[in-house]
Amino acid sequence: MIVSNEPSFDAPIPGMSLTHELGARPWQTPAQFSTVDETIEYYMGRMTSEEFIQQLIDVLEMGVPVTTVANTIQLSGVMEGKHSVDTGMLVVPLLMEMMMMLAESAGIEYDSGLEDPDKNKTRKTLLAKYAVQYQRELDKVDLDDMVDDKTESEEEEKEPKGLMARRN
Amino acid sequence: MSRALTDIVLAYKNMDIENLNMPSEKTESKGLLNRTTPATRNLDYSSPAVRVGMQMQTIRKYREQNKNDSV
Repeated sequence: MIVSNEPSFDAPIPGMSLTHELGARPWQTPAQFSTVDETIEYYMGRMTSEEFIQQLIDVLEMGVPVTTVANTIQLSGVMEGKHSVDTGMLVVPLLMEMMMMLAESAGIEYDSGLEDPDKNKTRKTLLAKYAVQYQRELDKVDLDDMVDDKTESEEEEKEPKGLMARRN
Repeated sequence: MSRALTDIVLAYKNMDIENLNMPSEKTESKGLLNRTTPATRNLDYSSPAVRVGMQMQTIRKYREQNKNDSV
């Protein structure tokens, strides 16, 4: 990872979020829809419009996963003050189901986003762990001693085989 | 996969809508007052998750119907 030494000034300063008047943002006011049923009704009304379906199909055809789209939709609902974060999380599975149904009805290939792409990959941390273990094992063993022992034992094992060799 | 998306995937997979209307296990008693019709699982219909599950079930049925029609 490359870490820049130059200071970054393109970030909010500490406490910046507290400088605005409390309640001025939509998500700081009571949500417009307080129940799951109301929220579902709101989303179903939007999702069944022709314009939304066309845009959704375009986005899914580009390879954007359904999970990402559903999360974006519910997050924008929270930011607009339509519902709370909790209600949004409860509604997300239904949004996903609805979007998958729309995609299948349109007959397009889509990525549901439910499969973990890194599932069968070996984790780098796991490799690093085994590398450290291997290094420790190597450090424990004194290779010079092993080489000396081996040569000594080889010398001991050599028995004279000649006709004139001494026999005990 | 980001943390938010992992939570969403878990929320979707844990809905368990296939077993939402499963009848409860049959009791073995043979008395006269024994229930003859199978009892459905005691679902709390006021629970928001159950309500979402019920709606999901309807959409899932429609999806499967669509799949079967296209095959």
